[in-house]
Amino acid sequence: MARYAIVFDTRRCIGCHSCTVACRVNNELPLDMIYNPVTTVGPAGVYPNLSMVHVPLICMHCDNPPCVDACPTGASQRRDDGIVFVEDRKCVGCLACVMACPYGARVKNHATGAVQKCDFCKDRVDAGKLPYCVLTCHQKARVFGDLDEPASEVCKLVNGQRAVRLLAELGTEPYAFYIYG
Amino acid sequence: MSKSIDLEQEGIEVKKSCCYFCHQNCGVLAYVKDGRVLAIEGDPTFPTNEGGLCCRGNIALQHLDHPARINYPLKRVGKRGEGKWEQISWDQALGEIAARLTAIRDQHGAEAVATAGGTSRTDDWARRRFMNIFGSPNCFHNSHLCWIPTFMVETAIYGWCPFDLDLGTSRCLVLWGQNPGASSMPEMHHIRELQAKGLKIIVIDPRFTETAAKADLWLPLRPGSDLALALAWVNVIIHEGLFDPDFVNEYCEGFGELADHVEQFTPEWAAPLTWLTPEQIRESAYLYATTKPGNIQWGVAIDQVGKSAGAAMHARAILRALTGNLDCPGADLLTGPSQDSVTDEEMEANDMLPAAQKAKQIGADKFKLVTWPGYGKIAELSKKHWGKAPTAEWMCEAHPPSVFNAILTGQPYPVKALLVAATNPVNSYGQSKTILEALRAVDFMVTCEYWMTPTAALSDYVLPIAGALERPTITNSYGCADYLLASQRAIQPMYERRNDYNFWRDLGVRMGQEEHWPWQTVEEAYHYRLEPLGYGAESYDEFVELYRFHFPEREYYKYKRIGFGTPSGKIELYSTTLKELGYPPLPEYVGPTENELDDPDLAAKFPFVLTTGNGFMPFHHSEHFQIKELRFLRHEPRVEINPATAAELCIEEGDWVWIETARGRIKQKAALTNGVHPHVIVTERGWWFPERSMAEPELGGCLESNTNVLTSVADEHCDPLSGTWANRGLLCRVYKVDGDAKGGK
Repeated sequence: MARYAIVFDTRRCIGCHSCTVACRVNNELPLDMIYNPVTTVGPAGVYPNLSMVHVPLICMHCDNPPCVDACPTGASQRRDDGIVFVEDRKCVGCLACVMACPYGARVKNHATGAVQKCDFCKDRVDAGKLPYCVLTCHQKARVFGDLDEPASEVCKLVNGQRAVRLLAELGTEPYAFYIYG
Repeated sequence: MSKSIDLEQEGIEVKKSCCYFCHQNCGVLAYVKDGRVLAIEGDPTFPTNEGGLCCRGNIALQHLDHPARINYPLKRVGKRGEGKWEQISWDQALGEIAARLTAIRDQHGAEAVATAGGTSRTDDWARRRFMNIFGSPNCFHNSHLCWIPTFMVETAIYGWCPFDLDLGTSRCLVLWGQNPGASSMPEMHHIRELQAKGLKIIVIDPRFTETAAKADLWLPLRPGSDLALALAWVNVIIHEGLFDPDFVNEYCEGFGELADHVEQFTPEWAAPLTWLTPEQIRESAYLYATTKPGNIQWGVAIDQVGKSAGAAMHARAILRALTGNLDCPGADLLTGPSQDSVTDEEMEANDMLPAAQKAKQIGADKFKLVTWPGYGKIAELSKKHWGKAPTAEWMCEAHPPSVFNAILTGQPYPVKALLVAATNPVNSYGQSKTILEALRAVDFMVTCEYWMTPTAALSDYVLPIAGALERPTITNSYGCADYLLASQRAIQPMYERRNDYNFWRDLGVRMGQEEHWPWQTVEEAYHYRLEPLGYGAESYDEFVELYRFHFPEREYYKYKRIGFGTPSGKIELYSTTLKELGYPPLPEYVGPTENELDDPDLAAKFPFVLTTGNGFMPFHHSEHFQIKELRFLRHEPRVEINPATAAELCIEEGDWVWIETARGRIKQKAALTNGVHPHVIVTERGWWFPERSMAEPELGGCLESNTNVLTSVADEHCDPLSGTWANRGLLCRVYKVDGDAKGGK
């Protein structure tokens, strides 16, 4: 069994939003929905002594996902390989998961009534392909892979000294990791 | 591509296509069934993008069948610009256009027909071929703003433009007015990989760009002061002994004259002009000159600074020669044109344009370098040295502002017809108000387009052309690279769209040019061009499917064998070619096009320095504003202002503000950022609003936020060598819309 994870290398990200567009286009999202925004912090400082960092966000695919616990219908699920997803037809749009997610990763699709979010492009992953946002990233700022494969780049990065989790103190154990400068 | 499409289904073909939304032409795999593209993705095996696609690359399918695309030939039936069209057949359109052009040629001469092209959006060699046989020298692009002056100045000095960077073993890269972080995603990736292995990156840019944020050294210079910086670098490298004496002694002419000439241009002299410190100038010059091998990457900034452009290019070119960073491993390579395939220039039929017609090229009397006088001279040297010449379509063009003036004034002679191919001059050429007047005034205008742009809306005929995925593409740096990357069309053009090749060819055939157009399709022409490579492919598509690229074996230090393609056979720091054309043989200092030192009165009225024209995601030039999957990222035009300046002007984030120069004013929304100097204002380019009425008088709001209302094409603001005009280093003022014109205080 695989254990999927993603690493965002903010040293590489340039804030071009290719991932956001690739996800929107390929997942056919309505215009008011984004699974994976990129937030630019800066330029910070006083010209010309400046710094700038871009922080991509998606569903963190938590090992201990509060959204799944909060879901009253069983629509929000976590697969054994770690992918957290929503089974649309079981979702009643109650927004409990939206309230529970500390990362703001979930949005209600007003066209379908269901809450949706990044599912790591699980159909592509099952077919042996990379998620759209990872393939499209020119800068290779997103590294996706299987933590159960010790030789994988994702495994090396996650086990390196720089990888951190967002809001790690909540105990959600995200499987999205960040590397900062 | 939709999640719901099964790409494993029977009958799907995978075509090796490419993105067509900038010059990178990233490899794209298109999944095609029954003549329809079901899905696309970045080609993981393509050497540049390795599967990556930027925002624009991802919207190829939205572009392909967008409801606003032009799909059938249209003929104006109402008044010009009224927005009333009749759908007609290609046959009728070509017949009527041919008849009209023939009549104009009979009455006014072939030179009364001019053509404007977009940047690498079209089959440009075919346009030049048509025009040469037709007899008019008045082809142009926006190429003055984009590399072409640089190419020609460098070719005058070294015998070719060293645009092919051997980055793999480089140790220092200078990005001079270039921001690959917003404009060249594959390049950004590759240089960052090399930076992780020790490559030093120097970014010269007034803005704290995506790329500046990752640089080892950032030089935030005053917009338009590039010449002062380049001269000061030359001074430091010569007078502090950083040059390569063996290379200079053996291969360069004019070192003594140059050394004397630049003695005055010390870092201390340049500091107040560039807003840098002498230490910054010295440190950066040392870094480039002593971290070898090194590269200077071309960027559009210097092409767009106006009157100091040619001298700045010359000074920058000298830097490579002084340091020996030319044609050696890790440096900037003088590859010369392709020896193995038929080049763009060889397809252009330049010999068919009579000398008397060449002499009539508009602007050639004023700006000699990228028109027939300079091009002719350089092409001759190039043919002698390399056996081939640079592409004329780009390197030898009528001066666009002078053509628009000729339409309005009849001087030096009347221009009666304008054929436009995938460009929107109202938004992309300088001084838009004049251009709009010219487009309204021209007797006859035909536009080949994807969209109903403000320019198309003023045309007499609008013809639908093939876009991304619908056309084959050879990527070879404007026909001047020795390598090539070949991509195929995924599908035949939809509806009644055609490659613009077929527009020029079919028009030519109707006008008696049939014997000169042996190739029915672009693929046939491309097959003819690639056959000499010797791969034995039966067709162009077969070449793409089996080989796709051609990278000839690299020969370093070619100059040791064949010298340089200049009159002396050496690098001419002191340029005899420029001198013979009547230009200074060494780069002389002139200030930025508009500046506070030369014109304090103007600066009192317009206290800020304006820079325009920088690329930004997700748009490109004046394209893609229709595409909602991109537009959601940037709904409205933004002008960058330092927060301290904004506070003084009572401007808050998101306020609409007027930006005004001596040419006029536009409005954009204030984006407060620390990334610009408090005295600098940065506007976004290209903006028009396809969601509005495309009829007169609205025309998509094409002047309202259009930064080219602010730019200057006055002859005295143009570079004397090339005629490139001034987009950067201008003076402006800024004030709130509905506020006090004095600044809101």
